[in-house]
Amino acid sequence: MKSAIQIDDLSYTHPGSDFRALEHVSLAAPAGQSIALLGPSGAGKTTLLTLLDGRLRGWRGRASVLGASLDPDHPPARARRSDTGFVFQEFALVERSSVLRNVLNGRLGRMSPLRAVLWWPTSQDFELARSALADCGIADLAERRVDSLSGGQRQRVAIARCLAQEPRLVLADEPISNLDPARATEILTLLTGAAHARGATVMFSSHQPDLARRFADRIVGMRDGRIAFDVAVEDLSEAETAELYREAGIPPGTSLRAVS
Amino acid sequence: MRSRGLGSFAAGVLIAGVILWSFLTTDVELSRLLSAGPRIADFLGRMVPPDPTVMNEIVKGSAETLRIAILGSLGAVFLSVPLGILASETMVSPAVFRPVRTLLALIRAVPLILVAMLMVGAVGLGPLPGIIAVAIHATGMLAKFYAEAIDSVSRAPIAALESAGAGPLARLRHAIWPQMAPVVARDTIFRFELNLRESLILGIVGAGGIGFYIQTYVRSFQYDKAASVTLAVIAMVVTIEAINVALRRRFA
Repeated sequence: MKSAIQIDDLSYTHPGSDFRALEHVSLAAPAGQSIALLGPSGAGKTTLLTLLDGRLRGWRGRASVLGASLDPDHPPARARRSDTGFVFQEFALVERSSVLRNVLNGRLGRMSPLRAVLWWPTSQDFELARSALADCGIADLAERRVDSLSGGQRQRVAIARCLAQEPRLVLADEPISNLDPARATEILTLLTGAAHARGATVMFSSHQPDLARRFADRIVGMRDGRIAFDVAVEDLSEAETAELYREAGIPPGTSLRAVS
Repeated sequence: MRSRGLGSFAAGVLIAGVILWSFLTTDVELSRLLSAGPRIADFLGRMVPPDPTVMNEIVKGSAETLRIAILGSLGAVFLSVPLGILASETMVSPAVFRPVRTLLALIRAVPLILVAMLMVGAVGLGPLPGIIAVAIHATGMLAKFYAEAIDSVSRAPIAALESAGAGPLARLRHAIWPQMAPVVARDTIFRFELNLRESLILGIVGAGGIGFYIQTYVRSFQYDKAASVTLAVIAMVVTIEAINVALRRRFA
């Protein structure tokens, strides 16, 4: 099977600080896999996802996504950015625009530059946007303005925008952090289900080990910019998860209970 | 504490000195006010009743002022779009936006009437120098407002469109513009109101509009006609302000 993600010895320090967001991170994932990134805030999950999305500059190491290598100094070409979809933690929607318009924004990378600037989507663009809306269960919200929607509805719009872009790799940054448990389950079912139906690889970050276990094939634990463990979901142990969320500064071995 | 007390004492002395200096150096002759009472009454008396026969001049002058304000504002918008982009922190590098901002500050520092006088010298009398003057003068403020509108938009949707493969122009059009459009509309209407108010006096320096008639009638001691024109100016300002308040509520 072709590899979707192949990264080797990645390191990244935020410019203007000595905070090491990523340190010697290596990981390979075959196409079609569903990977959950677990770890406390500041572990480097968002940095890793942003890097894989081609929006981070100045990192060291080697990274290739969907068979093409990423350049630490230049953003990838438009078509390649379209191949990688990203679901943002705070949704990142254009608040004053309609739901349909926001989902069609996901098509901008697939349109010719002229069509994209003049806002002249093809009937195929509309079709894909409509079917993404239907898949996300929000076809009836198409004409609503985003600033009139609830958090769960906004997350569905953000996922629909990502799906409309026909991605082969879906990266989701804490897609359920703002949702109650019932909504969280719905959203992860939707996200992983729609991605698999399209044969896409999924990587999502989360703070919830139970849900990560339910919706991923593989769990990657991150802490302090490093990969703490990388296991198939059936091999994940309670102790490993607990260790991941251990309060910083408490030496291992002192009494730990899972903080999830 | 002690040095601050000393500082405010020095500031007080300075302010008192400046005021005293103003009284001493100009030929104020406050005594003239005392004897001027009857003359002021006579002057005001000659303004009533306002002469309604100048209606034609009022309509013609108001229309010209309105045209100067509209075309001047339009020119300012055309200049402010590129300059606003070049003055924004999010669109260009500091090497570009710093000098552009300085240029805009310099333009803002020159009063409209001065720009108009220069333009009359450059292109001759009539509404054309007025239009050019309004366009240049208003750009100093409007381009700054546009730049601030660009810089105040949320960055997240721009990153999302970048992630989806949209180019810089498509990001400007679909992520930045929808966020700044209401601010731009509000600022543009605000600047148009200022342009109309300020262009009322352009005629005094020969740059067209209703100001020409005020100047003509006052200079030729036709105070009843000047009164009519003044009333027309007040009516225009009040009307445009009412329209602006109504519009601004829509963009709130």
